[in-house]
Amino acid sequence: MSRIVYLIREALSSLRRNVLIVIGAVLAVFISLALAFGALVVNELLGLNIAAWQDGTHVVAFLYDEGQNNVPVGAHESLLQEVLEWDEVENARLVSKAEAWIEFQRIFENDQQMLDALRDPTVLPASIRIELQDIRFHETTRFRLEQQQQVVRQVNTAAESIEQLQNLSQVLRTLGLGLAVVLGVAAVVLIANTIQLAIYARREEVAIMKLVGASNWYIRVPFLLEGLIEGVVGAALAVFAVWVASDNLAKAGQSLELFKLDISNQWFFRWGLLVLLFGAIAGVVGSLLGLSRYLRDADGTGPDIPKGF
Amino acid sequence: MIRLENVTKVYEGGTVAVNDVSLDIQKGEFVFLVGASGSGKSTLIRLMLRDEPVTRGRIWVAGKDITRLPKWKIPYLRRSVGTVFQDYKLLPNKTVAENVAFALEVLGRPSSVIGPQVGQILELVGLADKAGRYPRQLSGGEQQRVSVARAFVNRPPIMLCDEPTGNLDPKTSVEIMRLLDRINRTGTTIVMATHDHAIVDAMKRRVVALENGRVVRDEVAGRYERTAEEE
Ligand SMILES: Nc1ncnc2c1ncn2[C@@H]1O[C@H](COP(=O)(O)OP(=O)(O)O)[C@@H](O)[C@H]1O
Ligand SMILES: [Mg+2]
Repeated sequence: MSRIVYLIREALSSLRRNVLIVIGAVLAVFISLALAFGALVVNELLGLNIAAWQDGTHVVAFLYDEGQNNVPVGAHESLLQEVLEWDEVENARLVSKAEAWIEFQRIFENDQQMLDALRDPTVLPASIRIELQDIRFHETTRFRLEQQQQVVRQVNTAAESIEQLQNLSQVLRTLGLGLAVVLGVAAVVLIANTIQLAIYARREEVAIMKLVGASNWYIRVPFLLEGLIEGVVGAALAVFAVWVASDNLAKAGQSLELFKLDISNQWFFRWGLLVLLFGAIAGVVGSLLGLSRYLRDADGTGPDIPKGF
Repeated sequence: MIRLENVTKVYEGGTVAVNDVSLDIQKGEFVFLVGASGSGKSTLIRLMLRDEPVTRGRIWVAGKDITRLPKWKIPYLRRSVGTVFQDYKLLPNKTVAENVAFALEVLGRPSSVIGPQVGQILELVGLADKAGRYPRQLSGGEQQRVSVARAFVNRPPIMLCDEPTGNLDPKTSVEIMRLLDRINRTGTTIVMATHDHAIVDAMKRRVVALENGRVVRDEVAGRYERTAEEE
């Protein structure tokens, strides 16, 4: 018990004595993990938004009016039935000319100019709104619809932009992961450096401890604790900073209905813990790296007794 | 207690610091290692602590061949050998009592044992009233007494001292020697490197003289200078 108290006291006093170096290491861990975690958050946001855009309408087929252009009455309904049979189609519904007018009025409720401009509501075409099972099939659907030249006037699809976003997300995900790895390694190296400096500052003490018969582990543990504390504090700051930033972003984004900017607390908790764990591991691994150079020499007995006696 | 068999130490760079030295030191002996600066006294002490590896030869300390000791056992060797150096080697951020206690903490002794034992040894070296001071608040002689207390607190069978009076004035040196003598009388084997003529001559103990890393003289109850010529 007194042992543990002793070790913690040693670690804390070393932290206190090397304040500047320690601040440097904590900042390094903070910056690298904040960036890495930030990349993860951006990626999550993209994922959320893509998921949100994925529900709803993917393909819209605007139709010629029935009774004109050789379109027989009932052609809309029969096309809808056909579309519903297609494998890739999750759902489809017919929006009649009357419904289109109602929708138009709702969308431009506050825009008298638009309402005035459209004097003749009958110019709005009827349409079939299609939801796909998988967005990747949008080309097939478009092609199939375009075969129905007689009834289908034009095919619009949002799928392309969604697919582009998916690809972008994939790229960002890879980049973010790469960035996280690089920055994680940087954090480890910086902690290793700090611990080396801390040991260098205390090399005479370490030599004395060895002379008195302290084992390598007895000497190591305070330095390991020191690295662990640096890693965890840096990581905690990073998680906190990213959380605050993303929370503010979510608040600012509430007015923008297009984007979903709020990440669940659960997600933050899970990934935040992971980042903390990584900080802890980085701290310990960094210290071990920093220690290995100083506790190993020709004889494996550690730093020489300072010369001159 | 300590046995050296044809021990040679060549440092990186080629300096032959110890050259084919054989020595046998019995339990309870007090042995002075004397010789000019650079003759190899400190190196010999470092070899006995396995602070440096030997180049050739064997060294037994307390029955164990320390030249073959695996690295992880070195701390155990150090715990059975108390050490005192010219520059005291106290931990600057620890008080007198903490410095002495450290030698026991390293052994894993419970604090209930450490407290009384530290008190007792500080009494012995006459520093009980300065237990809470830091090394920098003490005189050289006092610091060296702390160092002796730390070396002896766990009653090691052997003490190795490298010029323990090197930084002290004659009067303070005598105090330290008195302390070491008392420790020796408890049965502790002491090997002390020194180039202090007065001390060696006054103590009348075994003297091993080194010259360029070789033993040139080994006398029971000897003097610093060669006595054979005087007789
Ligand atoms: N770490 C070292 N590396 C190289 N040479 C050393 C080292 N330590 C001591 N020496 C050399 O070994 C010789 C013996 O030194 P030392 O044992 O310190 O002698 P003493 O203690 O009798 O003055 C000297 O020539 C010294 O320069
Ligand atoms: Mg010397």
